[in-house]
Amino acid sequence: MPGRKIIIDTDPGQDDAVAILLALASAELDVLGLTIVAGNVSLHYTVEAARKVVELAERTEVPIYAGCSRPISKPLVTAEHVHGATGIDGVDFADPTVPVQSEHAVDFIIRTLRAEPAGDVTLVTLGPLTNIGLALVKAPDIAPRVREIVAIMGSLHQGGNITPLGDFNTYVDPEAADLVLQSGIPIVMVPMDITHQVLNTRERLDAWRATGTRCGAAAADLMQFSEAFDLEKYGWGAAPLHDPCAIVYLLAPELFSGRTINVRVSTDGTVSTGMTVVDWWRVSGREPNCDYLLEVDVPALYDLMTERLALLP
Amino acid sequence: MTRTTVIVTDPGQDQAAAIFAALAAPDEFDVVAVIASAGNIDLDQTVVNCLALLELAGRPDIPVFAGCPRPLARPLVTAEHVHGPTGLDGADLPAPTIAVQSEHGVDALIRILRAADETSVTILSLSPLTTIATAFVQDPSIVTKIERIVAMAGAYFEGGNITPAAEFNVYVDPHAAAIVFDSGAPLVVLPLDVTHKMLSTRERLDGFSATGTACGQAIDGMLTFSESFDLQKYGWHGAPLHGPCVPLYVLHPEMFSGREVSIRVETVSEVAMGTTSVDWWHVTDEPVNAFYVADGDADAFYRVLTDLYARLP
Repeated sequence: MPGRKIIIDTDPGQDDAVAILLALASAELDVLGLTIVAGNVSLHYTVEAARKVVELAERTEVPIYAGCSRPISKPLVTAEHVHGATGIDGVDFADPTVPVQSEHAVDFIIRTLRAEPAGDVTLVTLGPLTNIGLALVKAPDIAPRVREIVAIMGSLHQGGNITPLGDFNTYVDPEAADLVLQSGIPIVMVPMDITHQVLNTRERLDAWRATGTRCGAAAADLMQFSEAFDLEKYGWGAAPLHDPCAIVYLLAPELFSGRTINVRVSTDGTVSTGMTVVDWWRVSGREPNCDYLLEVDVPALYDLMTERLALLP
Repeated sequence: MTRTTVIVTDPGQDQAAAIFAALAAPDEFDVVAVIASAGNIDLDQTVVNCLALLELAGRPDIPVFAGCPRPLARPLVTAEHVHGPTGLDGADLPAPTIAVQSEHGVDALIRILRAADETSVTILSLSPLTTIATAFVQDPSIVTKIERIVAMAGAYFEGGNITPAAEFNVYVDPHAAAIVFDSGAPLVVLPLDVTHKMLSTRERLDGFSATGTACGQAIDGMLTFSESFDLQKYGWHGAPLHGPCVPLYVLHPEMFSGREVSIRVETVSEVAMGTTSVDWWHVTDEPVNAFYVADGDADAFYRVLTDLYARLP
């Protein structure tokens, strides 16, 4: 059976890199392309990181498209304080040789959605939603052709991370996030409420290393680099694991539970800009626009990740 | 230690429960004024309710003042859907025989604070913050007379109640909340994060009636009425109990835990209006302006509350 067609829109980032590896390791998923956006670090480095990751996985046939270098209507905010200068500090990669496609990521997204049968292509967003938001503005006709958007964004009970109320992906481009949420496309939101349960304990990272694969070891080393910031901030025994949760959701949605509710984004606030307003208790009267995930089977998630990382070089 | 105390409130069943708790501890709270405010219901009714509650508690000597009938910058939002048309539905309170003072509540607050020593007056805030903020604007010099404001306000980890993100007291008058939070007055915030842990199970409410006092029985009846909205909404085995967290924090701070934080209010974005931005993880450079209580011991809380009601008529 051919795999489910996905485009991964991403700003690697260590956890983005691990998510990409997980997708490339999974036969259920047919990765049509990686579309790159500025976020965790600048576009130059996120593109470079994506190239390194496909080379590490020996999957250089997966095309890489450079997307937007800035959010729609505010200056770019990056997170080198978490991810290091390259976004994927923690592993020594060789300089990549795989080319970047000449087509812009936004145009690739539009072209692919128009070319593929309606309802076939899923968008997985691991970064700020600028590329998707821009594609919806350029070509609103693509919206009903998207099967689903699985997005790493949002927070209900965890507060924000980049600000007291804003999670990073929403905060960096709130206008794009709100465009996507109001697009009518089916959305599965994988928020901090999920990713803050998925703690990368040393035991779990060691299990990745024990796969004996280069990719498993790299995944563990990457997460061990970026966790330092969170370990100090939260004082927990292990750090949250964000982006791979979106891929695990595609592989095993039965590991997650949530509610179909309305989520909006504060785009124009004094202190709330970039906050997801999550109507978990359905008090707003607004129509549901996403499946908001709140619970996850964490041991099963890590077991699945370890099993898949073992399939890579 | 006896504290000169002013209660500002919009009863409301849980505010009644808080007023009774404060009146039951006269060695701790020397209540020199109860100022009615608009919130759960309109001002005319909250004035009547304050009078009736003081009579039932055998304290007709405490003067009741009427504060502001409307928020600073937004239309009044009330919550009869929770509290019933009188705000105190669930108990048969006799019509009060004492009368409201002719002095405006704002003027009374200014007068009391002007006459007081520096940092000597404790304000228990159980409602939207309009009346307190108005007094601060009219006479900024009074702020230094305040020992602290202990306020039921806001939410961070819990999300909101009147909207997806905002807690009722802050949502009704976010501009007033911002004035009070920025005033420099020492501030303790009891948000939904803690009040949602103090669930009014049937057993706990029965305990109030088992005191055999008219006040304990009235509180059981009132909370039994008002909790039905929350029981249906949340599907929990008890409803949150908000107001009494304020006097009980003053009486027993050891039963609660929290952090020194910066707390700010959204006053512009409509979808996030009244949301409190609480810098729990210290990700901003905003100065600390409150002690934010996020947890409490529910069993101890109800034990103390029951003991207090047993001391009343």
